[in-house]
Amino acid sequence: MSNTAPLVKMRNLHKSYGPHVQVLKGLDIEMKPGERVVVIGPSGGGKSTLLRVMMGLEKIDSGSVTFAGKPYISSESADTKTVIDTDVRRSIGMVFQHYTLFPHLSVLQNLILAPCKVRGEKKASAMQRGQALLERFGLGAKADAYPAQLSGGQKQRVAIARALMLDPKLMLFDEVTSALDPELVGEVEQVILQLANQNMPMMIVTHDMWFAKNIASRVIFCAGGVVVEDGPPEQVLGSPKEERTRDFIDRVFHIKH
Amino acid sequence: MALDFSIILRFQDALVLGLWMTIKLTLICIVLGCTLGFVVGLARTSRNVLVRAVSSIYVEFFRGTPVLIQLFWIFFCLPLILGVELSNLASGVIALTLYMGAITSETFRASLKSVGPEQRDACVALGLPNRVQITNVILPQAVLRAIPTLLSNCVSLFKESALVSAVGMADLMFVGQNISNNTARPVEVLTVVALIYFAIAFPLTRAVTLVEGRILKKLAI
Repeated sequence: MSNTAPLVKMRNLHKSYGPHVQVLKGLDIEMKPGERVVVIGPSGGGKSTLLRVMMGLEKIDSGSVTFAGKPYISSESADTKTVIDTDVRRSIGMVFQHYTLFPHLSVLQNLILAPCKVRGEKKASAMQRGQALLERFGLGAKADAYPAQLSGGQKQRVAIARALMLDPKLMLFDEVTSALDPELVGEVEQVILQLANQNMPMMIVTHDMWFAKNIASRVIFCAGGVVVEDGPPEQVLGSPKEERTRDFIDRVFHIKH
Repeated sequence: MALDFSIILRFQDALVLGLWMTIKLTLICIVLGCTLGFVVGLARTSRNVLVRAVSSIYVEFFRGTPVLIQLFWIFFCLPLILGVELSNLASGVIALTLYMGAITSETFRASLKSVGPEQRDACVALGLPNRVQITNVILPQAVLRAIPTLLSNCVSLFKESALVSAVGMADLMFVGQNISNNTARPVEVLTVVALIYFAIAFPLTRAVTLVEGRILKKLAI
């Protein structure tokens, strides 16, 4: 039974910004190992907040998250401190919508900073792993380039490689292609699909429904701070059960009634 | 009136000595002032209210008063309060360092602020400890962004340093004034002194533009 034990278990997550803006209103999500969960939904529905909480970037008001059976994040109530286990956090990687490469470091230096500083890996070994990863993503020639010399698509591929250097057990992708020119979206999605083929568990927030359909093993429609619909991609994207999901999907695909 | 610039040649050695004093004073105050400015820049973003208040008062006071009065106050008043004699070199160094510290602290503060929150997010997502975030990610970017403005600050300091002649320090300005008084040839002497200042400051300001372009390109801002 242990192989079906959840990788991530979120319980009753509440999160608000100030007294009036509630972003997460009691979110429950369970994710099994090897699952690729795509989270869709309207802006302000809590998708990005969900990923940021999962990465330990945001405090929560209340709720808990366990990761691979270990307690990871918890808070009793809005007045108590959010407890985040930083060791657990290190097994999660994240790529953001806006390029977050370190502009003063070369591509390879970006890749090896965390392995060398966090794990104490030898520079030579980290550089070797980094170079191999760059080759795999078609960026072998860019190792010594600086982020400013790269296209948006290349930057995002480097950001993915940088996260993978730490051998994450879960990858979070927060609208990683939203800021890209349309012709650069494909190369980034290809890299993520490549990871999917290796059974990397991932949680993806995207507005690209084609991509969602192709990568998801499960789709969650999130609106108003709660999970509205949760199921296989054919169901949620193809023939949603919930009215709100149907409205959203129709609007995204520009279907007018 | 007939101009005779050859008169300058007779005082060449004195002018070179004066220029050397100006450069020495500027360099000392650049090093001390930038160090002070860096610390004060950090202090102004401190979580401690008292540290923030003291550093803000210092910066606002020195930015809001003329350098000349600061210099006079340190040269004439400080010795009376402390009961010790301050040489004109010491008071010049103190005054210009405090002035430089105040303006560069603003430069450092702005550049620290310009490193966006998404860089912090990336650090957290990579599990970098706080110390590594600051020394390897935030500070290098902040300092890089500060360089062009710091260079401009240095050029300003070089020009403002002429004020120390007012407390009798034998810098380029002081020597120039003396020669001009003694020879009664202000046009020739003061023009040449101005040109010497310009010959040094102008290439530096051009360099600032050049360096700025390069850094902006590198950081893609």
